[in-house]
Amino acid sequence: MTNISTKTLTIALLGNPNCGKSTVFNQLTGLRQKIGNFPGVTVDKKLGKLALENGQSATLIDLPGTYNLYPTSQDERVVLNILANPSDDYYPDAIIYIADVTQIEKHFLLFTQVRDLGIPMVLALNMADAAAEQKIQYQPAVIEKLFQVPTVSISGRTGDNFPQLKSALNELITKPFDAPKSFYNFSDAEQTISKKIQKDYQLDNQFQALIWAQNANRLTFLSAEKKATISDIVKNNDFNGLANQVREVMQRFDRFTPMLKKAVQRTESNKITLTEKIDDVLTHRVWGPLIFFALMLLTFQAIYAWSSVPSDMIEAGFGSLSDIVTASLPDTWYRSLLTDGILAGLGGILVFIPQIAILFFLISILEEVGYMARAVFMFDNLMQRFGMNGRSIVALVSSGACAIPAVMSTRTISNWKERLITILVAPFISCSARIPVYTVLIGFVVPSATIWGIFNQQGIAFMGLYIVSIIAALGSAWVFKKILKTEERSFLLLELPEYRTPVFKNVLLTVFEKVKTFVVEAGKIIFVISIVLWFLASYGPSNKMELAEKDAISIATQNNLSDDATADLVAGKQIEASYAGHLGKFIEPAIRPLGYDWKIGIALITSFAAREVFIGTMATIYSIGSTEDEGTIRERMAKEVNPTTGKPTYNFATSLSLLVFYIFAMMCMSTLAVVKRETGGWKWPIIQFFFMTGLAYLGAFVVYQIFS
Amino acid sequence: MPTLSALKNRESGTIHSFSDEATACKLMSMGILPGSKVKLIRKAPFGGAVYIKADNQQFAIRNAEAACIILV
Repeated sequence: MTNISTKTLTIALLGNPNCGKSTVFNQLTGLRQKIGNFPGVTVDKKLGKLALENGQSATLIDLPGTYNLYPTSQDERVVLNILANPSDDYYPDAIIYIADVTQIEKHFLLFTQVRDLGIPMVLALNMADAAAEQKIQYQPAVIEKLFQVPTVSISGRTGDNFPQLKSALNELITKPFDAPKSFYNFSDAEQTISKKIQKDYQLDNQFQALIWAQNANRLTFLSAEKKATISDIVKNNDFNGLANQVREVMQRFDRFTPMLKKAVQRTESNKITLTEKIDDVLTHRVWGPLIFFALMLLTFQAIYAWSSVPSDMIEAGFGSLSDIVTASLPDTWYRSLLTDGILAGLGGILVFIPQIAILFFLISILEEVGYMARAVFMFDNLMQRFGMNGRSIVALVSSGACAIPAVMSTRTISNWKERLITILVAPFISCSARIPVYTVLIGFVVPSATIWGIFNQQGIAFMGLYIVSIIAALGSAWVFKKILKTEERSFLLLELPEYRTPVFKNVLLTVFEKVKTFVVEAGKIIFVISIVLWFLASYGPSNKMELAEKDAISIATQNNLSDDATADLVAGKQIEASYAGHLGKFIEPAIRPLGYDWKIGIALITSFAAREVFIGTMATIYSIGSTEDEGTIRERMAKEVNPTTGKPTYNFATSLSLLVFYIFAMMCMSTLAVVKRETGGWKWPIIQFFFMTGLAYLGAFVVYQIFS
Repeated sequence: MPTLSALKNRESGTIHSFSDEATACKLMSMGILPGSKVKLIRKAPFGGAVYIKADNQQFAIRNAEAACIILV
């Protein structure tokens, strides 16, 4: 620790889940946070800047919560791989260990393990405020003396004693560090093995060697050869890893529990706590699920209803910005790029912000309060049948408004397979963007009449579309459950934390971080695809676009059309002549079995941007681009006649086939962009695109062939 | 010896040992140890899991894990 001034220090926050780590992290760093992924996995990596007392700044890393150094989930493996590898980029120069003082014993297992790794450490006894309420008395100085680790009592929620925490940290990193003697007494077998590994790989720390022996195959930084050699050492010495882990955990508890009794005085009471009383209702056999669904309905309603005003404002804002640009620039390719490419792309990204913000505002309140763990408990069994997790329900319900925040909300599902399945099937649930498409098409399928004088047939059909989408989601989840293999053993050992009032700083930071991640990470992809789609719709091979324009203008002059009608006609003829038009004609043979012509083909291509674009494209193709009214568009579509049969194009079979196609098809580049970010690569979004669109094609094909 | 699965709602017992080492390691790391008093608070609405209280902390565990917890 002599050259501290020449290098940025890395300080890690570590602790069990529910120790209040994120609150402490937010207190220490505020908005100076950077959120990303740990390499190779989609586990949140939160970095922040921490100003030290001597004016130096350090990188503060928030390590995922873990109970011990024998991981069973992705999050925990990340922690192990950093702490067991002194050459890791994030190997901490010092650790702030956060322990919930109201449940102190449980938090001391990992504490003593990390202490034995010989990393300089400050112990922060968190939740001082809750301890005072529960009349728990404790002496940090006694703990400090017994465990030989500097100890401070803090409260993350109130920010109490943070200066003391910082000065303890400062003292730790400025003074030479002497690792205290190992807390754990190695057994003979552990001695033999750890000494051998220590010698073979020149490790400074004996407990680190034991951790290598116990976890050899989970350590990503070891070469395959090293892993094999270490496994051999373990095997040759007849070392039963699991039995030793149990023994180690037992021994640690046996040692520190009496030590902690000297420092913490608690009056044990058998009184039923407030949390238990609340849970009598919230996890009740009948009331529990009912209340949950009421909350989900509220969440759904909030995303759906509250976001429409700000989203409409964003759309209108970009609309008028686009009008201003159109009015002030000459009619050139760059004006078109600016309005129909760049501004449309940006608007298409920003329009999702209200939905994302509202969903995460509500979800993180439920998470902060401690309710989410109860939801997992209640629905675990139900969702397990479909290979998902209790938390998946939240994603599936939110998907009814928009799949983007829904996919982003799966981050808290720690089992990778359960999380992946949720991400893959959530976009099946009919989102709000499908509604305009359904509205236009449903009239061609179901007459607007009532059954028994009360039920509107179209309303029933609408509900049917939603039910089909839910069946598709659960059915494909079940299939994925059977196909996907995982080495992670699925279990549920979940703490149901005490109910707490939410810390609003945490809630707002979560909202901010989610919005920022979406705009920055997914926004890039959405933007690029928007420009590509703009190009396809605005340019055509050779001079076909100009010919189309001339053609349209001459027709317009002959028929004495108004300016608007002329512009609409030009747009219609041009999109036909564009690359998108050619693509539409090119795919016509493939979509004819579904009952579609090339015009619908064009709309299928452009609506890859987002489903509702289908309506706008249809309007442009039918030369009524200046209208935005769904009723007008439907009237025009009803008049469209198939030139070969002489019958309406939008007959029952074609319209139903289109409806089915739009229920299933992955027509949303923004969702794909988010899936790419959340799964860490292109593999899963591509698979998702093909299986959803494949199912859509198949469904539409079957429906059309039956009814035509 | 009975396991936690045998308890009815609101019944308590004391943990004797665990029948599976991997589960034992997880449970113990969360502070559920031999000698701890456990109480079954209630079963999940759709089955499959139980809500337990051990040493003043609440947990949810699946029936499979509950069956590994041997009571005195």
